Amino acid sequence: MNDGVVVIGIGNPYRRDDGVALEVLRGVEALRLPGVRCLESDGESTALCDAWTGAQLAVVIDAMRSGAAAGTLHVGTMGADALAVHTPSGGSHALSLADALALGEVLERLPARLLVVGVEVGEVGDGPGLSEAVAAAVAPAVRAVREACTEVA
Amino acid sequence: MTHGTTSRTLSVGALARIEGEAAMHVSVRDGVVEDVALRIYEPPRFFEAFLRGRGHTEPPDITARICGICPVAYQMSACQAIEDACGVRVEGALRDLRRLLYCGEWIESHALHIYMLHAPDFLGYPSAVHMARDHRAVVERGLDIKKTGNEILTVVGGRAIHPVNVRVGGFHRAPSPAELRPLRERLLRARDAALDTVRWVASFDFPDVQGGWEMLALRHPTEYPMLEGRLVSSGGLDAPVHDFERHVVESHVRHSTALHGSLAGGAHHITGPLARYSLNFDRLPALARTAALAAGLGEVCRNPFQSIVVRAVELLVACDEALHIVETYEPPARPFVDVPARAGRGCAATEAPRGTLYHRYDLDAEGTITSAVIVPPTAQNQAAIEDDLRGFVAPRLHLDDAELTRQCEMAIRNHDPCISCATHFLDLTVERR
Repeated sequence: MNDGVVVIGIGNPYRRDDGVALEVLRGVEALRLPGVRCLESDGESTALCDAWTGAQLAVVIDAMRSGAAAGTLHVGTMGADALAVHTPSGGSHALSLADALALGEVLERLPARLLVVGVEVGEVGDGPGLSEAVAAAVAPAVRAVREACTEVA
Repeated sequence: MTHGTTSRTLSVGALARIEGEAAMHVSVRDGVVEDVALRIYEPPRFFEAFLRGRGHTEPPDITARICGICPVAYQMSACQAIEDACGVRVEGALRDLRRLLYCGEWIESHALHIYMLHAPDFLGYPSAVHMARDHRAVVERGLDIKKTGNEILTVVGGRAIHPVNVRVGGFHRAPSPAELRPLRERLLRARDAALDTVRWVASFDFPDVQGGWEMLALRHPTEYPMLEGRLVSSGGLDAPVHDFERHVVESHVRHSTALHGSLAGGAHHITGPLARYSLNFDRLPALARTAALAAGLGEVCRNPFQSIVVRAVELLVACDEALHIVETYEPPARPFVDVPARAGRGCAATEAPRGTLYHRYDLDAEGTITSAVIVPPTAQNQAAIEDDLRGFVAPRLHLDDAELTRQCEMAIRNHDPCISCATHFLDLTVERR
């Protein structure tokens, strides 16, 4: 069991913008917020469940693709159904995150509160480095995570 | 789903329970299977190019990113290939720690596949989430086993995802005996649970299918293969790993961006649990051998559907081996041995959960990588998976598209394909004309 706040970044730094959540996670880590654990994840659903079980707040940062402009932030509390709708085939981890929510619900392993911070991606080809638009979204995403964590604290 | 006057194409969307990104297309003409193609979108060759010009200490961290489920396999093959190039061997307690870390990955990966990906197929559930509603205790058992693997990765590798404690020559820091001690209780529980897992999956119904492929695995003089061994096959191959590229050749196929591996004589082959088990039955620890026979397995298993039983036996192997290492661990004098750069070529193969993973690096005198070759297990298995599907689909053409698709997905999952693990979609299309 965990308590407090867990911030989870899902992504692959060698798939361009798919690594954005890891950049945001690094920014949050640098803030050294008290009572906040930061974890990197590949999005595998059971690992997500383990990571957020018992947490007062879990913030999941992930790449998303909904048709909005690259770099657009999506911040909100989402259930499994909504997530599946909001992150169709473009989001490389969408199914895993939706699965994790559904599994967490069945096994009663959901955090007390779950916030998803999604960053709309543009380029997800091979290689490191974020596109300009997505890189510009990192600082606002870090602020969004910090605000959520601060509210709980 | 789209319907044409002369053809029908069924798109079933994402096959979510496979790590990777791929699509499968089955063409049927006048009731006869005309073609089966597994198309891979993910270009694993990116990493080979990306590694050129990098320092000889960098491959373990870079290649670990190829796969979220088996980063340790990439790290171990990378480290040992670099050490081979530099004329260094890592032995003793450092080798034990590497094997412990690898056991952790096998435990994680096999538990995930058995419980969350494969078992729902046999019990008639569309997903593990649906299965968990009816079999919560079973799913909880699987997750607990998997978590034991996570904890090994955390203690030895520094964290559960993409371990950061591995380096060429050993580890950045060796754990103390006190840090390993809590793993003992967990592993005792996990080993019992693994034994229950073998019994559970052995009770499933299995179609009577026999794969005709050749089987390829490592074989070690005394151990069940994991970190090293000679390259052996069911066709009589017995060669050092340095000859890997003479015996396993890669070729481009039109429908895939990944290379397909096959044996030099042209035979399609599989690597992974079935091959490892069948070529190393006599290397199983006594506990696992007894459990395998009690589960109804012979010394050789060619039924891909029974791979779930073999995987469970290997889960038991990994728990048993990890427990032994934890109980006998004495920390190394230094957490790593020095691996000074020198010009040369080095190669290594290890047994990833999904099969034999080969790395080869060429270094210049400063240790800069001038070329890299990575042959993952799934690339080797793809042609054999297509063979399986070709034979599997033919007698099932009377099924409707939905049921045929479901069964094809199950046949693919038999081989636990990890299609380089960067993104997670497989679209399956059955075309009937």
